[in-house]
Amino acid sequence: MKLQIKDLYVSIEGNMILKGLNLIVNGGETHAIMGPNGTGKSTLAQICMGHPSYKIESGDILLDDESIIEKTVDERSRMGIFLAMQNPIEVPGVTNFDFVKAAVQTRMKKAEHLRIGRFILKFEKASQDLKMGQGLAHRFLNQGFSGGEKKRNEILQMKMLNPKIAFLDEIDSGLDVDALKLVGENVTELKSPELGLVLITHYQRLLDYITPDFVHIMINGKIVMTGKDELINKIDQEGYDWVKKELGIEDEEVKPYSLGTCPSKH
Amino acid sequence: MDILKHLKDESNLIIFTDDFISNNTEIKIKNNHLLFEKENEFFVFFDNYTLNNDFVFEIKNKVKIYLLTSQSKKTDYNIRFELKEASELTLFTDFNAKTKTSSKHRLIINLAKKARLEFMNALVFNGKIAFDLEVNLLEEKAEVTIEQLNVGAEGVHHMVNQRVNHLAKSTTSKINNWLIAQENAKLNYHVTGFISKGKELSKCHQSNKGIMLSDNSEISVEPKLLIDEYDVEASHGAAIGQMDELQLYYLMSRGMTDSEAKSLIINGYTLPFISLIANEKIEKILKRQVSRVIRRNS
Repeated sequence: MKLQIKDLYVSIEGNMILKGLNLIVNGGETHAIMGPNGTGKSTLAQICMGHPSYKIESGDILLDDESIIEKTVDERSRMGIFLAMQNPIEVPGVTNFDFVKAAVQTRMKKAEHLRIGRFILKFEKASQDLKMGQGLAHRFLNQGFSGGEKKRNEILQMKMLNPKIAFLDEIDSGLDVDALKLVGENVTELKSPELGLVLITHYQRLLDYITPDFVHIMINGKIVMTGKDELINKIDQEGYDWVKKELGIEDEEVKPYSLGTCPSKH
Repeated sequence: MDILKHLKDESNLIIFTDDFISNNTEIKIKNNHLLFEKENEFFVFFDNYTLNNDFVFEIKNKVKIYLLTSQSKKTDYNIRFELKEASELTLFTDFNAKTKTSSKHRLIINLAKKARLEFMNALVFNGKIAFDLEVNLLEEKAEVTIEQLNVGAEGVHHMVNQRVNHLAKSTTSKINNWLIAQENAKLNYHVTGFISKGKELSKCHQSNKGIMLSDNSEISVEPKLLIDEYDVEASHGAAIGQMDELQLYYLMSRGMTDSEAKSLIINGYTLPFISLIANEKIEKILKRQVSRVIRRNS
């Protein structure tokens, strides 16, 4: 399993956000992507998932050597890409259980049938592991959830869907210390040679619980530095100014853009 | 859908067709006048029944009525409900057609003192329908709640007039409309609440929500409040738009196709209405009708 991002240029509303980004994520690897606000970290995750508001200007995204940039959002998901979103969307009237069941069913072959008993047990186990409390199955998707519950619910879905490549976009925001530890432990449990993880974060604290193999610093739409633990500590103590200074990077002005509406089809 | 197949085992079933009238209840029927004196649940089914006189349902107790139609030709219905003092009616109606047809249905509902009506109207009508509903709160403390789910399949045209007249003090009305329009469907609504002079302490509320599933679908709602009294409570509103694209994206990011995601969102949208139905068979009939329309067009 391998995700390869090749010299990717991505824009939204005429603003170029990613400017020649390269990254390879192999199964079993955990990559942390850090960087100041507005450098394109979330854009990277969204474009890999296929968010239709973003436009690929050039470059390619390959999953196991197959280009996915012409694939629809649902096709990418069924191929194994997962995005735990920074702001999970509320869907009134759709229960968490029906939603996850439908998502699991989309991955089944035509002749296969969902074994509902087994599914319920797995759902309940995942729910207990994440301390989601009773009644989660019958609550409407993310509606009335606290910030922490929404993030834990994303991890629950990840556990149920067994992705090959998972982007966790600021999964630590909105989590208190205990919830962060819980999420960290649950994600760590999922680590396997079949799963490549990409953690997008601003803080060291998430990486205390999920140890990355590689730490990348993104500035102005591309990865400018790659290292290991020592990079996390330095960023935590000194921020990003030293990186800019060391590499001679100047701040760029990015015009504001909106993700408010997006067509569902390419 | 053969609705009778689902209802045939019901013990309190009244059937009106062009060929026969079947009644296995204690309700006496004379010149289309039905008198409900005892507390119970009833199923009334119309199939191409041609009316010579208007139907009158007279309610004197706590009654639940499920009124369903499944016509295959142009048939118009004029139905009047008379709720006597302190009576309670839970009314579910599902006006539907087996084939694409056009019809005019008119319901007049009169409520006496302390009478209460909970009215759930499912309109998944196949074709063109003019549906007029007039509710008259004739005496003090009469209360009505109207919940209407309207699913417009491709090419249908539904013209709906809903009017609640507060004609006595301390009367209460609440209307909630959920509207879904498929490709080339037109749903046109006039929703009116009227409080006449001197009918203080009355409450009149309405809410209208609509989802258009295509650029070619049309939903228009004209919410109106005609208030001729100061000491009252009233509100109205309409929110109509296309399906939330972020919701679609979220569901598709979990592997659902565009049409699967839309179906799930619409099922969620209709759930508040469907969950009000207290009868499993009726719930099943309605769910099938709705999902057939959604599936056909997604």
